[in-house]
Amino acid sequence: MSWDESVITHYPNYNILNLADEWDSYTKEIVLKRLGPFSAPEYFSEWETSTLKAIVKNIVFDNRDNIIDWIVFHLDSKMTSEIGENQRKIGIPPEDVLVREGISVIDRIARSKFAKSFTDLEEDEQFKIISSLQLGQLPPIREWSRIPQKDLFSKFLLEIVAAYYSHPEVWSEIGYGGPAYPRGYVRTEYGLTDPWEARGDGK
Amino acid sequence: MENKDFIKHNCDHYEGSRLNHLNNRKYGDIEVDVCIVGAGAAGSLLAYELGKAGMKVVVIEAGPFWNPQTDFASDELSMKNLAWNDTRLVSGKDPISMGHNNSGRGVGGGTVHFTGVFFRFHESDFKVRTLDGVAEDWPINYNDLKPYYDKVENQIKVSGPREFPWGPFRGPYPYPEREPISANAEVFREGCEALGIKSTVAPLAILSAPFDGRPPCINRGFCNQGCLPNAKFSALIHYVPKAIKHGVEILSDCMVTRVLTNPTGGSVTGVEFVHDGRNYRQMAKVVILSNFVVETPRLLLNSATSSHSQGLANSSGLVGKYIMPHSGHDMYAKFQNEIRLYKGTPVLAVSQDFYETDRTRGFVRGYTFNAHGSRPVEMAMGLANAGIWGKQLRQVMMDFNFYARITLVGEVLPIVNNSVTLSEEKDEYGLPRALVTFSYSDNDNKLIAHGVAKANEILKAAGGEPAFVVPDTAHLMGGCRMGNDPQTSVVNSFCQSHDIPNLYICSASVFVTSGGANPTETVMAIASRTADHLINRMNKGRLGKSDEVKGRTMEKVTR
Ligand SMILES: Cc1cc2nc3c(=O)[nH]c(=O)nc-3n(C[C@H](O)[C@H](O)[C@H](O)COP(=O)(O)OP(=O)(O)OC[C@H]3O[C@@H](n4cnc5c(N)ncnc54)[C@H](O)[C@@H]3O)c2cc1C
Ligand code: SF4
Repeated sequence: MSWDESVITHYPNYNILNLADEWDSYTKEIVLKRLGPFSAPEYFSEWETSTLKAIVKNIVFDNRDNIIDWIVFHLDSKMTSEIGENQRKIGIPPEDVLVREGISVIDRIARSKFAKSFTDLEEDEQFKIISSLQLGQLPPIREWSRIPQKDLFSKFLLEIVAAYYSHPEVWSEIGYGGPAYPRGYVRTEYGLTDPWEARGDGK
Repeated sequence: MENKDFIKHNCDHYEGSRLNHLNNRKYGDIEVDVCIVGAGAAGSLLAYELGKAGMKVVVIEAGPFWNPQTDFASDELSMKNLAWNDTRLVSGKDPISMGHNNSGRGVGGGTVHFTGVFFRFHESDFKVRTLDGVAEDWPINYNDLKPYYDKVENQIKVSGPREFPWGPFRGPYPYPEREPISANAEVFREGCEALGIKSTVAPLAILSAPFDGRPPCINRGFCNQGCLPNAKFSALIHYVPKAIKHGVEILSDCMVTRVLTNPTGGSVTGVEFVHDGRNYRQMAKVVILSNFVVETPRLLLNSATSSHSQGLANSSGLVGKYIMPHSGHDMYAKFQNEIRLYKGTPVLAVSQDFYETDRTRGFVRGYTFNAHGSRPVEMAMGLANAGIWGKQLRQVMMDFNFYARITLVGEVLPIVNNSVTLSEEKDEYGLPRALVTFSYSDNDNKLIAHGVAKANEILKAAGGEPAFVVPDTAHLMGGCRMGNDPQTSVVNSFCQSHDIPNLYICSASVFVTSGGANPTETVMAIASRTADHLINRMNKGRLGKSDEVKGRTMEKVTR
């Protein structure tokens, strides 16, 4: 994925981690943990993990391993957590089942369509499968009656996106001010920035 | 600073005691005057007012007793734990996203992570049937709530403009308006002005000057993650500590699983609750359910007995019916220069120019606009929900700082089929999970279309390029609506259930219509009025007794 050519940051010189000492210690602890190292997945098996990584890369259009590892770690903890899933459409299986069966169905589709595992596919082939999943247009197989394609896609998408945009490296790229306690913001009006905030090129 | 929190492991809190077990309860086997279920906006205010009046009060709250300094972080992902995360099943044409989006869990309830936008309803909101021929009238009108709106605004020192341009209340607010406002609020106001639309700085339950040992807001923007400096009002930091001083006992991490009735079913006797896998009881002369729109119906339905086979307080069959969110669509526009949506209190400017019915628009009722900041997770998940992902999402998010946003708070008309019912699936307590069903009506969709188009005009007039519309909802109301007729409502105007005189329901669940504005000030005004009613009854020695209550409600009794 040549993401670096089509996605360009306005803030090449901004690194939010340089601000970490300004954050309250609880926030700092939470955010810095996202840099790893991560314990091995408890819920996902090895091949599920590698398939999941490939899915994640497609969804976030990014292939930096350190960020992908954090997202997989987050998903793995979510699958084993006792915290509920807020809402689930009636008739859809619980999220741990949905995600696990989803990974395996996606791999099965790859094998029947391209005679390769999902992880061995070319990037554009992987992308084709994931984008057909979003539209509910993968080949009709029995499993979809239990694991509706669009619901599976949106479960992957929302959890993955939430984790991705919680990674400090991504915060730096988009120029987000990040955690701001205890200092808050003094200059909030249009056109003003506090001295420590991200500054665009040439400013 | 070490961040090891111990307070949240405590589950029993009363003046002089903070205990991590239930072996020394203040009341224990003693029958209290009032047991309140849920320590949210309504429950905490009731506890404070009733405790102050000298009643014996116990509040039972399912979630933890948060300590802002050690439990709250400036982080979107980890602070999703402030929500009621338990799984609810959802269905309908427009299934509602639950959790962080609309329900809090823990002492303070939804106010811990609410945005703090603080509106009164307008006079028309209470008589939609009379004025517009749809929905239902409330059994109260604006003037019944007016003294309580005044009281609540003063108690918590709402900040807002000197002159408020819409509705019956024109300001000033107890505390001055916030200043400066954020860039997002500025461009919103510029866009409005260019089009001749009135706008103001938002009335907020957020301090603009010190009060009660709390500092003014420092603009960090994380109101939906819990306010660390305590500048934002929440029931957790305002009413609860004061209630404790007045003798109230708060039991946290205690999930109420059943409301208990006497053998004839004519009155309630208390509640059963679970802490750490064990069952306990609290007996009370009066039980008030303040546990919000989904859990109150679920609890009433799960408390069915042989004499109340459809569930308690449900002779009308309307427990769980007529629930309403607000339509909460987010309109994003891209600007040439940076807006930086993450900075400042999320909502600092608003407009209610489209609040009242205008027949020429082709629909009834209306809406509020909030200029609404965002942090990256919220924006990216919103865009993902609208079907944007992969390369496009990354490209859009690279321009995160260049977007402005307006959020709609649109009135949703009550429909009987929009409801909370019991599903087949059980939760960890062995109780059926709630099934929340929701579909917009035709009027709702027309209102949304109008709001989306107007917001985009405003953004454009401010120099932005309208880019994305993210469908969303906010807030929840209804499910146990108030009314004078026991056949068409669940509680009377004082939140007393028609069926069982010593059972009250007091929260956003008693709303008859949704209004087109953020609801919590109205939730609190209703709770304050109910508190006065209960204190009155106590003074007359009639607390929880069955007899006619004065005024309009009597018409219903003698009907
Ligand atoms: C993200 C967000 C932003 C918001 N922004 C605004 C805003 O800007 N302005 C505004 O006016 N409103 C806003 N709201 C809405 C506001 O939070 C609610 O209107 C308000 O909290 C409702 O008050 P309540 O007393 O009815 O219920 P809640 O405050 O939700 O309290 C209910 C309590 O009951 C507890 N409970 C539930 N079941 C049980 C049980 N069985 N046993 C024991 N306890 C139980 C819950 O844990 C909870 O603490 C927002 C809400 C959210 C989620
Ligand atoms: S913006 Fe102000 S009120 Fe909101 S969380 Fe930050 S300090 Fe608290």
